[in-house]
Amino acid sequence: MRNVYRSLLCLYPKDYRREYGAEMLSVILESQQSLADKSMAELLYFSARETAGLLCGAGREHLRLLLGSQGWVPIRRFDMRPEFRFPRSTVFLMTLVLAGVVLAIEKATNIELKYGGTLGTVWPALPMFFLFMLLTMSVLAASVWAFMFALRRTGMHRLANIQFRSGQR
Amino acid sequence: MNLPLSEAVLLLLLSLAEQPRHGYAILQDVERISGGRVRLSTGTLYGALTRLLKEEWIERFEEEDVSRDRRAYRLTSKGRRNLQMEMERMRHLTKLAALRLARKDV
Repeated sequence: MRNVYRSLLCLYPKDYRREYGAEMLSVILESQQSLADKSMAELLYFSARETAGLLCGAGREHLRLLLGSQGWVPIRRFDMRPEFRFPRSTVFLMTLVLAGVVLAIEKATNIELKYGGTLGTVWPALPMFFLFMLLTMSVLAASVWAFMFALRRTGMHRLANIQFRSGQR
Repeated sequence: MNLPLSEAVLLLLLSLAEQPRHGYAILQDVERISGGRVRLSTGTLYGALTRLLKEEWIERFEEEDVSRDRRAYRLTSKGRRNLQMEMERMRHLTKLAALRLARKDV
């Protein structure tokens, strides 16, 4: 496992690795040694926790490097409040997007009326292209969500803390 | 440093408030003082340590006869002051909560 942890530490930025890499590896190995008499399940849990910690840590340090001194992690928890769920700018942006879509439909209808339904012959792979784009975007969105979930930034973890106060009603 | 502090950072600072410790000792102490509830990974620990070092809440120092891989960390006066302020805030909250809950019970 030593080599696995060493490889994971290579994911950290170079300067960070130089400063803390050896120290971190020494801490991981020391922790692992203390688990020598524990069960396999505990060892696996330890390895998974350390791997996740190193992956998230490396991502966080790269983000910090990319974004300079804008604080710790740019993705902060957004506390949802019942009276204000979206920034006000969302309404404006949504209207803008809707206007864009309506205009595009209008334009496409005009083109079709003028030149006929030639799109299928010009670009027969269009449905496959859309399907490919949809799948790519879904995978991308799932990856971003998984990354944020790993960083505990989605707020999903806090759902477990919700207490229903039905007894007060 | 964003306030209020997360539980992990708070426990880490409390661990260093007692005495200087190196990475592995911090992990052990955080687990012990949280009753086994909080187990930090090394990545998380060093993420927090880096941030606290940058904000000058803690400092790193070389111990004699100890290898470079086992550098210890200690609380700075700024860190201790901020920790005390955070404790004061929590004490106030606890007191307020106890008062409000007692009033509700009546």
